[in-house]
Amino acid sequence: MYLILLSIFVPMAAGLCLLILPEKNIVRARLLSAVSMAYLLTAVLVTAALTRCYDVSYTLFHLTASLPVCFHIDETGVLFAALTLIVLLCAGFFSFAYMKHEKKEKRYYGFYLIVFGVLNALCFAGNLITFYLFFEILTLTSMPLVLHNGSREAIMAGLKYLFYSLCGAYMALFGIYFIWKNSSTLAFTAGGVLHMTTGGNISGPNSLPGAAAGGNTAILLIAACACLLGFGVKAGMFPMHAWLPAAHPVAPAPASAALSAVIVKAGVLAVVRVVYYIFGPDFLRGSWVQTAWLTLTLLTVFMGSMLAYREPVLKKRLAYSTVSQLSYILFGLAVMNVTAVTGGLLHVLAHGFIKAVLFLVAGAIICTTGRTRVEELRGIGKEMPLTMWCYTIASLGLIGIPPTGGFISKWYLAIGSLQSNTPAFAGAGPVFRWLGPVVLLVSALLTAGYLLPLTIHGFLPGADYDYAHLQKREPSPWMTVPIVILTALSVLLGLFPNLLTDRIMGFVSTLM
Amino acid sequence: MDFVQNFPCFSVILCLFAGILSSGLKDKAAMRVNTCLLGIVTLLSGATLLYTLQTGQSFVYVMGKFPAPWGNEIRAGVLEALTALFFCVIMLLSLLGGRHKLLEEVESGKTYLYYVLTDLLLSSLLALVYTNDMFTAYVFVEINTISACGLIMIRQNGRTIEAAVRYMIMSLLGSGLLLLGLCMLYDLTGHLLMSNMKESVARLAATGQYEIPLIVAIVLISVGICIKSALFPFHAWLPDAYGYSTVSSAAILSSLVSKGYIFLLIKIIYRVIGFDIYGDTRIIDVLFAFGLMGMIFGSLSAIKENDVRRMIAYSSVAQIGYIYMGFGMGTEAGMTASVFHILSHAATKSLLFIAAIGLTDVSGGSRKFIELTGAGYRNKWAGAAFTVGSLSMVGMPLFSGFISKLLFAQAAVQNHVKMLPALIVLGVSTILNAIYFMKTVIRIYTPVGYSAYPSITFVKMRVYAVTLVAFILLNVILGISSQPVVDMIRQGLAMFS
Amino acid sequence: MGPNLFINYGEAVAMLLFGIGFGNLLLQSNLIKKIIGLNIMDTAVYLFLAEKGYIAGRVAPIVSDGVQDMEAYINPIPSGLVLTGIVVSVSVSALMLALTIRLYRRYHTLDLDEISRQLKKEGL
Repeated sequence: MYLILLSIFVPMAAGLCLLILPEKNIVRARLLSAVSMAYLLTAVLVTAALTRCYDVSYTLFHLTASLPVCFHIDETGVLFAALTLIVLLCAGFFSFAYMKHEKKEKRYYGFYLIVFGVLNALCFAGNLITFYLFFEILTLTSMPLVLHNGSREAIMAGLKYLFYSLCGAYMALFGIYFIWKNSSTLAFTAGGVLHMTTGGNISGPNSLPGAAAGGNTAILLIAACACLLGFGVKAGMFPMHAWLPAAHPVAPAPASAALSAVIVKAGVLAVVRVVYYIFGPDFLRGSWVQTAWLTLTLLTVFMGSMLAYREPVLKKRLAYSTVSQLSYILFGLAVMNVTAVTGGLLHVLAHGFIKAVLFLVAGAIICTTGRTRVEELRGIGKEMPLTMWCYTIASLGLIGIPPTGGFISKWYLAIGSLQSNTPAFAGAGPVFRWLGPVVLLVSALLTAGYLLPLTIHGFLPGADYDYAHLQKREPSPWMTVPIVILTALSVLLGLFPNLLTDRIMGFVSTLM
Repeated sequence: MDFVQNFPCFSVILCLFAGILSSGLKDKAAMRVNTCLLGIVTLLSGATLLYTLQTGQSFVYVMGKFPAPWGNEIRAGVLEALTALFFCVIMLLSLLGGRHKLLEEVESGKTYLYYVLTDLLLSSLLALVYTNDMFTAYVFVEINTISACGLIMIRQNGRTIEAAVRYMIMSLLGSGLLLLGLCMLYDLTGHLLMSNMKESVARLAATGQYEIPLIVAIVLISVGICIKSALFPFHAWLPDAYGYSTVSSAAILSSLVSKGYIFLLIKIIYRVIGFDIYGDTRIIDVLFAFGLMGMIFGSLSAIKENDVRRMIAYSSVAQIGYIYMGFGMGTEAGMTASVFHILSHAATKSLLFIAAIGLTDVSGGSRKFIELTGAGYRNKWAGAAFTVGSLSMVGMPLFSGFISKLLFAQAAVQNHVKMLPALIVLGVSTILNAIYFMKTVIRIYTPVGYSAYPSITFVKMRVYAVTLVAFILLNVILGISSQPVVDMIRQGLAMFS
Repeated sequence: MGPNLFINYGEAVAMLLFGIGFGNLLLQSNLIKKIIGLNIMDTAVYLFLAEKGYIAGRVAPIVSDGVQDMEAYINPIPSGLVLTGIVVSVSVSALMLALTIRLYRRYHTLDLDEISRQLKKEGL
């Protein structure tokens, strides 16, 4: 069980050491080799922890008498931890080449490693208070990645990220507080920890004296809403998504990849834990909280795609795309039946890989050509064919064209939504049954609209393109290899999904 | 009677004697005497704490051979000993941390006066904590005021003298009200010892005799102490006094002096008037309302500030509002939360002041934010300490601020009427705190390309760095293992009345 | 309450003086007048205490003519409290006056608002 602690604290310690070391006398090659060793060590530790410490619980210390800080690896944790590991490793190696022309590299790698450790801690957290603790630490330690290049724009974006996240965290704390009062433990248990008496009323050992029988339920629903909105800030749900398009363009590309692919998934993980492991879907199904949540997610899906479609700067476009895609996942979670949740969790993986590819490609483009706007990128496909092929394949995945991973997840999401009003899966109102797939379809069309022009104009720039000055500018292998790996993974996810889907469906049904 | 029972009396008298002795010594000698004194008194308080924890009850120590109700008494329980220990530790660390600035800002040849004043201040704080007699409390309140005034104006520039004058005016207003209320209470009950007064007051309240004079006396005492501890709206003197005096004064004033008065108020509520009777007078509703307003206005004023030390001073106003909000809940849990916040705030606020001075030192002495950009890189220890203090203020888990907020929330939930405003204002003020503290933290860590100011290395400021580390450790310990402290506070409050 | 105010006219006057002193301390802008207000306020409290200690028909609590009976003397405690209070009042008045001298030497005015204005101009 010490593997759990090591896999969390080794990268954090490595990052801290890097930060504290003085700035001068750093040979770049040595720095990079030290960082790679740290990455590989962490990878080994995490894999070991996942395989050998599965289903092991470990309490670190007690914050107060009734609030322990403990870790516990379960299926959900395995899923998110695997995603974190793969994406952060790839983006990490990508940044070796990308950061060559940025300054203060050491600081970047230091915070990157710390964020790695904190994300591991989040995946392995065993109860809500541990999760909240590391959630706050995540906000604080990922902020320096956002404002890395120190320009005024970056600082404003970093501040915006910070304040949105802090406000969200406090809203969630409000909800957590009421949960604590109405349950005997905050540990993550499949199916929820609230006490249900016969008749479906909630009572707890610390119920407010004199509260009416239904009173607790009302407060708990409000607490659930607060938690969803609060953690939804991190996951970019409308109306608290405004930090995403501000933070992504200013961060260095590998940091944007990490942000979009993994750090926002922390918000998704929070929602999964709160809804399925603390409240339990039975409590929320059919309530106004679920209806509101479904409405917000569908609204975000549509709105994110629309805003992406109209955005000229490439990285900002991808940021809006993240907003939209995350709400696909949240929609799946909100429908609360086995198929939809499976679809959501599959999309966590698929979107993680795909979005990482897209951002890394954007980074490669910026690195080699220095251009950030889509309209300037005609003919880029001829200059960087391998990279742009990966981009195309990833885009197809995001749109949802078989046989990529994105198709599988969207399929499950749509089926889950259609099934949502049969008696076996009672849940969301009749409207959402067909509204969900419709919005998903429209959004898929918009996704094609905002992702494919780059491909089309890149490979087929038209007659007026200046072929004489074309030069092959494939980026270095440090950049291309991670991109290819991630693309390959996203395709493999689509070609051989059954192994994964069966496993996920298996444990999701235990949650219902 | 065990020897340990003498320790509270010894502590007070030792401090007084040390003050008198230091008035004849040179600077260095006075400083050494002061540090020794603080060390000894810390040990004495620690021993008393252990003793009271062991016996599980508070003990009464009669001064001289005159028994109650004619003589003077000292009473020590878990809460008093814990508070005394804490005050000593914070004062020691504040003095160590601000020592280099003291030597800079005060003319040599006059620094011994500063140590005389701190000795007297410590004696008055300890006496306020331990006393069981109302008039002794008043006398030591006045000694406290005078020493604090001296601490503010030891650094001679126009701002500090004006701040000292304003401080004295407000403080004397408060003292006058306190004295008047005290005299009325003496008149009604005929006693000056707190335990005897409590029996009389209980009898009066039961029969309903002299109802209005009793309420007036209670109101006068409460308002007097509120004015002295800078509750909103009586906080106007605070930003000037904390902002411009020498840094160890600011740290001591913000952490200890106002908390001494609040501790006295707690003592009066529990031991003179009785918790239930005090609750019946509805004064706690007024305290609650002012506490909430202080939380909001203090934070709003802090956001508008352009000077880092005044910003921290306004943050003090907000934190004192928190403590009075805890009072206003009118429950045991609220009091526990307030007392924990007294300890936590004392640790954090002095940390912030001492760290801030390190940052301004590497920015050419200027306190304006624009000059502080990048100071975190020039003075790494101060930057790290300031970050820890800010995170604690904002309520990050792992630091003491989170535990205080948790305790306040728990207390709020128990009181149906006040729950919603308390929780809402708690949330809003946390966000406001985050705004100005996090903005400052980001600013001190924003790298500047070319810095006009030199950096400071560890070798040059050993004592300062060690003090900062001690403060950080204190904060983190309070944050991580708060349960024993909270238990001690609860136990202490139970045996307090 | 009306007749009580006349019977206890001493206490009533003390309260009035307290109010005057408090108001002066708070509202006057001239420092010397503030200090005078402070003294009036404190003296009022001592008057109040002295009144409270007085019992009609008895003498000051100094043993005279060998009379040791408690019933012959007024309550001695308020006198002790007043003595202590006077000492406190003298010390704080001295401190305030010293501060006033310092401020006067620097800013050549006794008006606290004027001093604040000058400080703002100094821009310290």
